[in-house]
Parts: sequence; C-alpha cells; structure tokens
Amino acid sequence: MSDQELKEPNQFSRREFITGVGGMGIGAIFAGSLARMLLLPDDVLAIPASSGYLLVDTKKCAGCTSCMLACSMTHHGQSNLSLSRIQVTQDPFGKFPDDIGIAQCRQCPYPSCVEACPTGAMHADEKTGVRTVDVSKCIGCERCVNACPFTPGRALWNFEEKHAQKCDLCLNTPHWNHEGGPEGVRACESVCPMHAISFTTQIPVQSDEGYNVDLRTGTPWTQIKFDGAVGATGVAGSGLKK
Amino acid sequence: MGNGYTGKILKVDLTTRKIEEIPTKKYESWGGGHGMGSAIFWDLCKDKTVKGTDPGNVVTIMTSPLSGTLAPSVSGRTEVQGIGLQGYPTAWFTRSNFGGRFSTQLKQAGWDGIALLGKANAPVWLNIVNGTVTFEDATPLWGLDTRETQEEIWANVGDGGEDGSWSEVGGARDAGRTTQRAAVLTIGPNAEKYGPLAALIHDAGNGAGQGGFGGVFASKNLKAISVIGTGGVDIANPQAMMEARLWAQKYAYAGHADNPNTYVGMQGMSAPPGNAIRMYSDGVKSRPQSCVGCLRSCRGRTHTGSGNESSCIDFHWFTPQDKQAHGGIITENTAAATDLIQRYGMNASTFMAITLWFQDLIAMGIIGPGKEIDSNLPFSAFGTVDFARALIKSIAENKDIGADLAQGLPQAAKKWGRYEKDTQSGILPIQEWGYAHHYDARTEVEWGLASVLGDRDINGHDFDFALYWTPTLCAMQGKEPDVSAERAAEIFAKKLVPFNDPMMIDYSDEGIYSDGIVKATAWLVYYGRFWKNSILYCDWAWADFINPYGPDFEGMTPDGEPKFLNAATGGNLTFEQGMNIGRKIWNLDRAIWVLQGRHRDQEVFTGYTYDQPSMGGQTSFELPYTLPVYEDEKWSFKSVAGRKLDRKKFEDVKTMFFKFEGWDPTTGWPTRSSLHGLGLDDVADELEQAGKLGNAS
Repeated sequence: MSDQELKEPNQFSRREFITGVGGMGIGAIFAGSLARMLLLPDDVLAIPASSGYLLVDTKKCAGCTSCMLACSMTHHGQSNLSLSRIQVTQDPFGKFPDDIGIAQCRQCPYPSCVEACPTGAMHADEKTGVRTVDVSKCIGCERCVNACPFTPGRALWNFEEKHAQKCDLCLNTPHWNHEGGPEGVRACESVCPMHAISFTTQIPVQSDEGYNVDLRTGTPWTQIKFDGAVGATGVAGSGLKK
Repeated sequence: MGNGYTGKILKVDLTTRKIEEIPTKKYESWGGGHGMGSAIFWDLCKDKTVKGTDPGNVVTIMTSPLSGTLAPSVSGRTEVQGIGLQGYPTAWFTRSNFGGRFSTQLKQAGWDGIALLGKANAPVWLNIVNGTVTFEDATPLWGLDTRETQEEIWANVGDGGEDGSWSEVGGARDAGRTTQRAAVLTIGPNAEKYGPLAALIHDAGNGAGQGGFGGVFASKNLKAISVIGTGGVDIANPQAMMEARLWAQKYAYAGHADNPNTYVGMQGMSAPPGNAIRMYSDGVKSRPQSCVGCLRSCRGRTHTGSGNESSCIDFHWFTPQDKQAHGGIITENTAAATDLIQRYGMNASTFMAITLWFQDLIAMGIIGPGKEIDSNLPFSAFGTVDFARALIKSIAENKDIGADLAQGLPQAAKKWGRYEKDTQSGILPIQEWGYAHHYDARTEVEWGLASVLGDRDINGHDFDFALYWTPTLCAMQGKEPDVSAERAAEIFAKKLVPFNDPMMIDYSDEGIYSDGIVKATAWLVYYGRFWKNSILYCDWAWADFINPYGPDFEGMTPDGEPKFLNAATGGNLTFEQGMNIGRKIWNLDRAIWVLQGRHRDQEVFTGYTYDQPSMGGQTSFELPYTLPVYEDEKWSFKSVAGRKLDRKKFEDVKTMFFKFEGWDPTTGWPTRSSLHGLGLDDVADELEQAGKLGNAS
C-alpha cells in the first residue's frame, strides 16, 4: 500500500502528513511544547510523542541480522527472524547501497497503527510515549498491521503467541534482564557490530532521510575504503603483492 | 525452554522420494555439524568404499545448536560431508562448509540438518518450507548457473521477495510470515561434467568448494535445496546468550571499525575493511557484508554488484594474473572472474593451482596451440576476464583442455604426463591428496601434518593468523609485533587446552619434529573436528588466541566457545570436554578412511615438499615465512623460509602421532583399545570385520 494511493486530490492527506512525503518535517512541528496536543488535518488529536527513536545507517549495515536475532531473543526467548520488530531485507546480488533495507519502527508522531486499533491495545506508553501493544487487549484483527504505511510493515502479527506486536524500544524484554526503553539500552543497537543502529530522543524529520542517517562521518570509515572511498589496491602491508 | 536443537533431522531418500525424520536426540552427543554428520554417515552409508558418485553415498548437510543464534561468527555456517570426488588418488570421505544464512533458515524451518540418500530418477530440487518438503522438477534449472537458479527458485517459492514485504509462508495466517528470501544451496550448470571441481553455492558468494560436492549433488540428480522457515531457535538461556554476545563485542574486529587500532595482522582480511580494500578495483564503492550473526563482516557488496560476498581465494585465484597483465594492480577483471567462478559453481582453490601452474607452463612454452599440452585457449589474454571465461567454459563444457581438467587437476596433469615432474619441481602446487597447496607443510608443519593425516587441506587458520601472518607482515614492514614471541608462547600455552605446552608453537628446525608438533597437530584436528566443524565456529574468527582488543592481547579462546554453546544448550560442557569429542570424531573419520583403504604409507607429500626449499610462489599469497622458534633457550620470531622436510624425520613424527593416538604405528589404523576408550566399540567391530583393525602392539 503506497502513500500515493491514499492521497486525496489536491489535499494534504493525514498519511502524507505522517510519513512526511515530500520532505515535510513533522519533527520541526512537534519539537517543543506543541508536541502534546496537535490537531491534525483530519481532526484527529495527536498523541504524545515517543521519547525515543531508532536511527539506522543502511550504508553501514553488514546484513548480519544480529539485530533481528537479538530483538526476537530478548522479547520472546527465541531467535526468530519472523518475530523481530526490526527487519533487515537484502538481495545478495544487489548493488550497494540498494542491496539492503533496514525497516525499523519510526515511532511515528502520528501512529497509524495506534489509530487503527479498535481496542486500545496498540497504544502509546503513558510514561515514555513509546508505541507498543498491550497484548491483553489485542483481539487479533491485524488492523494495526495493515495500517502501517511502510513496507515491510513495522507492526507485525505474532503468529505463535497470536497477537500484534511492534518495536517497544525494549521497554519489555522478558528474556533480557536489562533496563530498556528510551532511558535504557536497546538490544538491536547493542549487538550491531558495525554500529549501524543509533538512538535519539529528538524527533527525526519524517522522511527516510530522517531515520536513515550517516553514522560514518567522524569515523575512519571512509579511510578504510567503504562507501565511496577510492579502493586502494596493493596498499602497503596488504601482503598480496606477489 | 529449548536447547538450541530443533529436534529433528531431515532424511531424504532421493531414490524413493520418501521423507523421514531422524530424532536429533540420537546424535546430540556429537554436538552438531561434522560430528553428527560423521555419525549419521557411519550409520546410513552401508558400503563406505563406494565412489562419491555412487547412489549409496550419503551426504549430510548439518547445522549446530548455535546456528541461527546470536553466537558470533558461528551462526551462519553449514557443514557438508560425504564421500567426495576431489581427493587423489583416493576421493576420501571428506567435508566442506559454507557461510551465509542457509543454516539459519534450515533451523527456522525446524530442521537440524539433512541427510541425502540415493539418487533421483530425474533432475529435482528440494523445496523445504517449514515442515513441508517437496520434490520439484529441476529439468528447467539444470543448465542454469548458480545465480539464475536461485533467482528462479526465489520466484517460485514466493518468499519475502524483492520489495521486502511480509509474505505468508505456507499460505495460512498462523503458519508464519517472513521478509526474508529462501536460502538456496545449488550447483552450477550441468555440474556432472566437472564433478571434482564442482562446488555448492549459496547466495552470491558462499561456497562449499573443497571435495567436489557439486558433482556429488549432480550425481544424485539434485540441483538445489531451497529452505525458508518462520520458526525460532529456542535456546536454554537467552540472558546468558545476550551477556556472552555483549562480552564478545569487546573483542570484535568489526565493532572497532569506527576506532581501529594499529595491530598488524590478518584482521585486515578477515574483518573490515578486508576485501573492500584488497580485492576491488579503484573507484568501487562497497559495504561490509556478514554471514548471519557475525562480528567479522569480512566480505563486501559493491555498487557494481560485482564481487558480492566473495572473499579470499574466490579472488586470489585470479589476482596474480590480473596484476601481471595490468601493471601490478588489481582491476575489475578480478571481481568479474570471481563472479564467473561463483556463477559456474566451481572450486576457486583448484583454479588458483591451475592458473599458477599455467603461468609457468606458458613461460616454459609447454602449453598452447600445437604445444606439448595442445590448447586453443586464449593464453594471450591471460589476466583478463576473457581468459577466465574461456577457461571456465572449457571445463564446464568439456572442451579443449577443459575436458581433462574437468576430471580433476591431478588427473589432468597425470594424463598430460606432467604430474610427477611438476609436483617434484613444485610448479604444480599440490602438496597432498590432489588439493591445491594452501599453507606450506615445510614451514607451518602442523597444517601439513593435519592435512596429510586427514582427507584434504585442513584449512584451519588457528595458529596461522597470529603466528605466521602477524610476525611475517611485521618483519616485512620492519616492525616489532605487538605481541613478542615469548608472550605469544605464554598466551598459546595458556589457551591450548588440554595440552598447554608452549613448545607446540616452536617452529624451529628441531621443534617441527618434536612432541610439540604432534600435540599441536592433535589440538588442531580435535579443535577443528568439534568446535569449528561441529559447533561451526568460523575458521576466520576462531580460535581466538591473540586479539588486539582483548585484555593484554588475549583472545576469547578457550572461554568463548563453551560460553555460547552452554547458553544455547543449557549444558555445562567444558572446552576440554569439547576437545575430547573432537578426538572421538577424528577417530571415527579415521576409521572411515581406513575402510576406504588408508594406510600410513600413502600419507606422504608430493616431492617438492621434501626436495625443494619453501618459498613464495606455490600460492598467490605466500610470503617468506617468519614464525616463532625456541632456540638457545629463548623465544624469537625467525624466518624459516627455504626449509625442506626431512623424509625420515617426518615419518618419525607420524609414528609419534600414531602412538599419541593409540593407533597402530605400522599402519596408522586405530586399535580396539583406542576406539574403546572413545566409546567407539561398534566402529572397532566394523574395522575388525574388514580386517583393518590396528594391532595394539
């Protein structure tokens, strides 16, 4: 389901507002005291902003899927790519940088998943604003799953436990005795060997560019010839010159 | 709460097209991977003397309790075993393994491994979707290359797909969903035509190259295995696994890519930037790329898509030619040739030996149109992808000299009347069992001894990275290694459980014929058989002896290996107990080789090992050998280049090794006593029945 399909002619759709198509920066709008209550274009009250957001650098990602294994293990006690709330998709034959996509929940300022939920199971955590699921209220309708405007959807159906779920920034990790959430430590971020996942308390700009960031600048990354640096064949010490 | 195993192994009879489940529990004492594979092979292969192409050959494809978990640099590997096609003069029961994500998908589909029996009556590919296994018609795929085959299967199985959207697996809401592509293991086009050179390929650059398992698959009319799963790997202690993983992060090369230190060593090859610097031509943009769960990220994917996921020998077989033809630099020809060999599904290691040999044969005027070895391959284009394509195609299509090479490199050399003389001079770089020279038995003697007493090039870099590469590179750069020889001996002695003898790393002229080298070889094969090939710790990350990010340069071995395993299984296996299982597996493998006809008299290297001084040139990467030696009661790093092996002394070392194992020193066969001590009485019975049980006296 694309944003374009939902757009009303000559109107500023809610979904467009949410996803920031066209570079609209909802972060700028939400920053500061306006964040608590805001009347959106179709008369729906905004809910409290999340107090944290995952950022990723897809150019830095090595595709090891450790983030997915850690997410599912800490939340469900099993390493299961299908139950991970962060998804890394890749094409082994693809061309860098389009060979990898990282799909992390954006903790949308205006969350379609929350709005779609008929029971309040999908909600914003009262203390942190993190969008998460109260599984005791989930009736399995999957409206939240279908409402997420992104591909792949960030709200997912837990086919084993029979409820919806999504990234809670590790607020509730029954299998990892560690403080999570915006003020704690996130499993995916902790295990990423390339440091390709980061965290911010500032609302990112609501576009891909807001969530897919450069975590390489300021590191020797370029010097070690990744991402655009010129390859250096036969460099000193390579030991490969015959 | 689980124990890392899914609980069942898939038994596939290709002849009858029947599927059965083998309870994993029956084989859990072997750990996983190689140990389970050898034990299953022992049980299911009725006649262990058959050829690799015989339908009676049994092939196992195994995971471990750590596959698909957060355990670092282990999770993505898969072990393959069976009677191979490559070994010469005997194609031994052998092994290979590969990285990527096949093992993870297999575990997620609910299987700890696969045992392949029989032969299909028509081309098939195996379609595993969680617990459902179907035989699909592979006739349309048979002539396709490895990439084409995978893309056809991906289109067929309807997995996560190109847009990364969620896909229902099995068609029901609660069967599970995935965004991932099926993991496919396949052979190249018409691989039966070049069996000894044929590999198994998965994704763009993961290959089980050694052994000729691509040819074994082809002989079974099996084109590919595809697997997609939505289940989980249930482990005993997620908390301990997470803690162990975060502990290991401190040692991670990849994790320090943002702040690397200046340690000189092979981390530049087996961790970022690795291949990105070394193997791509100027101007190529890339990312690091990992197998599942890895902390090393030793491969890359490029903005051209060329060279994706390949590493080391995948490139090295072509780099000398490329450099020679292009002013000493690596050009785009290397990655293009690498892609060709991956797409044709051929063993790059053998190609390194072929092309290094051809370089000399060309220079000597022996190969070419109308020459002693008559060939119309475009030798004037040597060093370009055009030559690579012509060579590979000639083998794939059995044309020109490719028709002979397709039967195996030593076989071709024999046919051309050059095997003896060229392995005597060393221009044909084959040191044992028909496999391409890798590291040199004259210098890294434990590598050679383990290979010649085994089934193939041992490919165990445990000692190699820290004790050869680092001091050798430092010597070339005029630097003192960060870890002195004396400190290295101290660290290794501490970590070489259960022997803990510093003399195991004495590579002096005396040391290589001593009790120390016997123990070093035993350590290498026990560790390899269990921790590396059964639990599936990756050779490029483990064993971790010296680590620039560890306290006082000490790596994670021997603490790390059981730490992760026990978190998964809930057991309390010690490192030493794992080594004992490794010894048991090594003895079982030995028994299979003995049944195949092994005798100590066969366990010799080709002539150049004894009669020519060691030097660079037998591989594309060898450098003058600097290794630790203990001389005049002190440790130092010293060049041992130029050394030959003494035949008699080496035979004496073999005798010492056989006695160390409790084997019959006159034959090299295990004895009833040695097998009984390992709980292998049934193996002793079968050897006795075959008249091949060693004499205890």
